[in-house]
Amino acid sequence: MRPAVAEGRYSITRLPGFGLIAVLTFVMLYLPIIILVVYSFNSGVSQSRWEGFSLQWYQAAFNNAQVRDVSLRSLWLALAAASIATVLATLAALGTTRVGRFPGQTMIYALINQPLMVPEIVTGIALLIFVAAVKVQTGYTGMGYLVAAHTAFCIPFAYLPIRARLETLDPALESAAADLYASPVQAFRYVTLPLMVPGILAGFMLGFVISLDTVVITEFVKSAGQDTLPTYMLGQLRRAVTPEMNAIATLFLALSLVIVTAFFLITRTRGR
Amino acid sequence: MVSQEIEIAGLNKSFGQGAAAFQALRDIDLTIASGEFFTLLGPSGCGKTTLLRIIAGFEQPSAGTLRINGRDVTGLGPNKRPVNTVFQSYALFPHMSLADNIGFGLKMQGKPRAEIRATVAEMLQLVRMEAMADRRPSEISGGQQQRVALARALAPRPRVLLLDEPLSALDLKLRKEMQSELKRLQSETGITFVFVTHDQEEALTMSDRIAVMSAGHILQLGAPQEIYNTPVNRFVADFIGDTNFLKLRVKAVEGGAAVLELPGGKTAQASLPEGMAPTTGALVTAVIRPEQAEAAAPGTGDLQATVESATFFGTDTHLHLTLADAQGFVLRRQNRPGQPAPAPQSRLGLALAPGALRVLKD
Ligand SMILES: Nc1ncnc2c1ncn2[C@@H]1O[C@H](COP(=O)(O)OP(=O)(O)O)[C@@H](O)[C@H]1O
Ligand SMILES: [Mg+2]
Repeated sequence: MRPAVAEGRYSITRLPGFGLIAVLTFVMLYLPIIILVVYSFNSGVSQSRWEGFSLQWYQAAFNNAQVRDVSLRSLWLALAAASIATVLATLAALGTTRVGRFPGQTMIYALINQPLMVPEIVTGIALLIFVAAVKVQTGYTGMGYLVAAHTAFCIPFAYLPIRARLETLDPALESAAADLYASPVQAFRYVTLPLMVPGILAGFMLGFVISLDTVVITEFVKSAGQDTLPTYMLGQLRRAVTPEMNAIATLFLALSLVIVTAFFLITRTRGR
Repeated sequence: MVSQEIEIAGLNKSFGQGAAAFQALRDIDLTIASGEFFTLLGPSGCGKTTLLRIIAGFEQPSAGTLRINGRDVTGLGPNKRPVNTVFQSYALFPHMSLADNIGFGLKMQGKPRAEIRATVAEMLQLVRMEAMADRRPSEISGGQQQRVALARALAPRPRVLLLDEPLSALDLKLRKEMQSELKRLQSETGITFVFVTHDQEEALTMSDRIAVMSAGHILQLGAPQEIYNTPVNRFVADFIGDTNFLKLRVKAVEGGAAVLELPGGKTAQASLPEGMAPTTGALVTAVIRPEQAEAAAPGTGDLQATVESATFFGTDTHLHLTLADAQGFVLRRQNRPGQPAPAPQSRLGLALAPGALRVLKD
């Protein structure tokens, strides 16, 4: 057997079983998704027997008024939450990187990242109790709760890439702007902000995808008639699984892929 | 009368508080004349950058005053001072073209577009980068970035240009080129330059005046010749150029000079620094530059020496010698055709140039 250490460098690819584990991992990751996508084109109702190609389940999904309704709600909720979260995350990133060290900095950092650390179910139950109390007090039952909850949940996801971008910016650039007669506002407008744009776009997209995707938070906060696409799908699956769900899931997957691809392209090309 | 561009009085700067406080600058008094090429020279960590940042307005002094062109600027932000900086890292704006970089200061000053365009063109020409106006900073070499950083800082016509080790990132040949380029730009624009370097040769060749700094102090302030020929203490003598330090005994003191006993028995006159009056018989440190002595035939001259080794430097050769009392001595000898380096262990005499030997305060 060849040693796992070659030319002084440790190589994990030489460990026994590496290839097998890698293949199994990829199978687990992608096979279920491939099956889901394949059966969305099945002309029968079965999830296990191929009966020929058809787009009927896509047609059914498009003609389903409820699907259209929850999809639109999901999209504008994600748009609103990601937008507000991005603005707040940008301010938070500036406030935690563009100042000297201050007491409690690490704690603030942890507080901003709460949704990354607290189990989602805990946040969900906490929000449920809190929102219920506010509903009783105010009588308001609109979408505001969902927007607020999604915004808070998206902030750390928007915050991370923005902060990462800011940390790689040479502080001398802002000094140079000030040296060249820029007021603090002008230095931000002409130097800091344009250089932050890749991070801000990445943060927005990450927040958007997270909001689109989250089930737990929505499930606990929503009032009657405020289903989003994921909670609607969950509700449907409890009854009967038709390939219409596969079609909706495939479209959802395609949308996420487009956003994630854009995210990578932006962070790679604009990041320079 | 020459007008004063920068006047610094009683300036101190501490970082941190209480027991952890660190004093980076101590009692700096300094005036820099209008149109001067002024250099801050000192080893890394002596406070050069801190002083420059205080002049630019990025740091506030802990005590003392700073005037620029007669006006007290303490408390004014960097955007309110007629001072521009060439940063050590250049700090060009990566998302702007070279032309936009150079025009940035004028734009922030609210100058009309036509004027900005004309000045940018003029600056590009001044630093010989006309052909590259539309490129991004990432698309040009380090030396070219250096020129653009210079052009950007010169474009708003500041009264003072601050340069923080601007040449340290360049290779030797490019550095020499930029040294004369900087001198040319300074004489063409008439702007006061405050230049920071830790390279003593660069300081000597470029400056009108030099401030030698160490541990937050200014040790000596003067023209390059003055600093080289009459260093005030051991640190300056050691930091600027090469120096032989000799421990010698005082035989007599006459006025401003001492008669010192040389190894081998002869004596030599050495000038004394102001305010120093050693007693007869005391041991003092005397200095002499390696080029201020000449080799003579063995048995002649002021000193006798044995050759230990010779190092060839192209224009000259450094002979490492031992004197009669085992002290070392380096002699710099200009190379001439048909003049071989003396063999190790050969003996020679040394004639000291009159007035070259100086007693130093330690
Ligand atoms: N912001 C700061 N906080 C604490 N110490 C500093 C700061 N800036 C500089 N110093 C200290 O002040 C001293 C002088 O630094 P600097 O002016 O950069 O030296 P130089 O430019 O001569 O190398 C150094 O010991 C450095 O560690
Ligand atoms: Mg420095």
